[in-house]
Amino acid sequence: MCGLCGLLGIDHWTETSANAEVFSGDIERSIRHERAHRVLLLNKALAPVRMKARDFQASSYIISSSTGRSEIVHDIQALWLAVEKMGSKPVDPLSAEYLDQLSKGQP
Amino acid sequence: MIPVNIVTGFLGSGKTTLLREVLGRPEYADTAVIVNEFGEIGLDHFLLEEVEEGILLLQSGCICCTIRSDLQETIRSLQKRAGDGLIPKFRRLIIETTGIADPAPIVSTISSDPLISKHFYLANIVCTVDGLSGASSLASAPEAFKQAAVADRILVTKSDLTEIDILVKIEKTLRHLNPTASIQRSSGAEFDTKHLFSQDVFVSNAEAEDVLTKLDRHLKGSASIQDPLKILHDISSFSLEFPGSIDWIAFGVWLTATLHVHGENILRVKGILNTRESAEPVFINGVQHTMHPPIHMDRWPNGERTSRIIFITRGIKKDIVQRSLHAFLSAADKEYRQNELADLTTFRT
Repeated sequence: MCGLCGLLGIDHWTETSANAEVFSGDIERSIRHERAHRVLLLNKALAPVRMKARDFQASSYIISSSTGRSEIVHDIQALWLAVEKMGSKPVDPLSAEYLDQLSKGQP
Repeated sequence: MIPVNIVTGFLGSGKTTLLREVLGRPEYADTAVIVNEFGEIGLDHFLLEEVEEGILLLQSGCICCTIRSDLQETIRSLQKRAGDGLIPKFRRLIIETTGIADPAPIVSTISSDPLISKHFYLANIVCTVDGLSGASSLASAPEAFKQAAVADRILVTKSDLTEIDILVKIEKTLRHLNPTASIQRSSGAEFDTKHLFSQDVFVSNAEAEDVLTKLDRHLKGSASIQDPLKILHDISSFSLEFPGSIDWIAFGVWLTATLHVHGENILRVKGILNTRESAEPVFINGVQHTMHPPIHMDRWPNGERTSRIIFITRGIKKDIVQRSLHAFLSAADKEYRQNELADLTTFRT
């Protein structure tokens, strides 16, 4: 994670808490609920590349590989880069092969 | 927060003429300008020097990723000097790119640098296209085509020197390329500066409605028409529609992963979303890897609560984007239904 981002408290555009004025609908999720939901969806997306994500204190995400390597990232944009840095092939949502694996829910 | 306008356009397309005209008007007197010297002679600098003080020249030739730090330093220095009283305070910043520069890294610099993004925001990208020679530039130079593709405002210049049928043809090409951009003509002085510069794209509700109107026109009208220049550069402009509400979290997971791998070839994303998390429409807008904070619109135009997104891509076709986004949204829908069922079960017991 970038220390400066943490220091300045910069939230990613996908975080609804960063754009509270936008997301004021009927289904208001708490920050914990929102992050739990994101982690669940991230794990579905990461399954084809055999990686896992989990929330870290509602401020960061920890990504880990099947060999036990792990890295902490500030937001989901950084997460995709970390997947590649940890030696995996990238999660490519526009790859037909990836989408086939995603629909099966397994690598 | 200080708005930043990026002025781009191919070599000789009239960027400097546009700036001279704009900076000469009293309402833009408190504007700082960063020009980029290209080649040995900083011609742009000499032209602009008489109009506006405080112009800074970047040391490198081109604003691109390799010298992005120069731009960072220049903006930070400009702001510090204004804060220290060494130069007059400014209320707007205009960055003029070189004729062959890619504007996307500048967008990224403004949005992603923590210090800059606290004080500046991107207002819009203005692109000049030469009415006389623009068609040949768009055909032969991928840079020119990309500059027009990522723009929010396009100014077709030298309209007084260009025959009307040529103007109409180039405007048609530009509309096919970038359906949501506003296109104006200019003969050097007559253009709407307010629309070009003051109307902020990334924070304005009115702008979001305007984009949506153009997007709907694209969906209903010329979506299937293919322009020869788009085929030449392998550019696609297509729209997707999703009935019902969509999961914002799933959309964010999908778009961030997609932009990570394909951001270089996703030139623009704009759209209106009907999300579960908001009763009102959410407007999204991005340039390549950079997405801007979503805008909350006041109401649903036409009462039609349908998510509509337009993509301008290079080498990426509509069918795979549609399949991919649908897969991610479906996964979230499945979870949502299971949770609803679980809630119901809990309630009954």
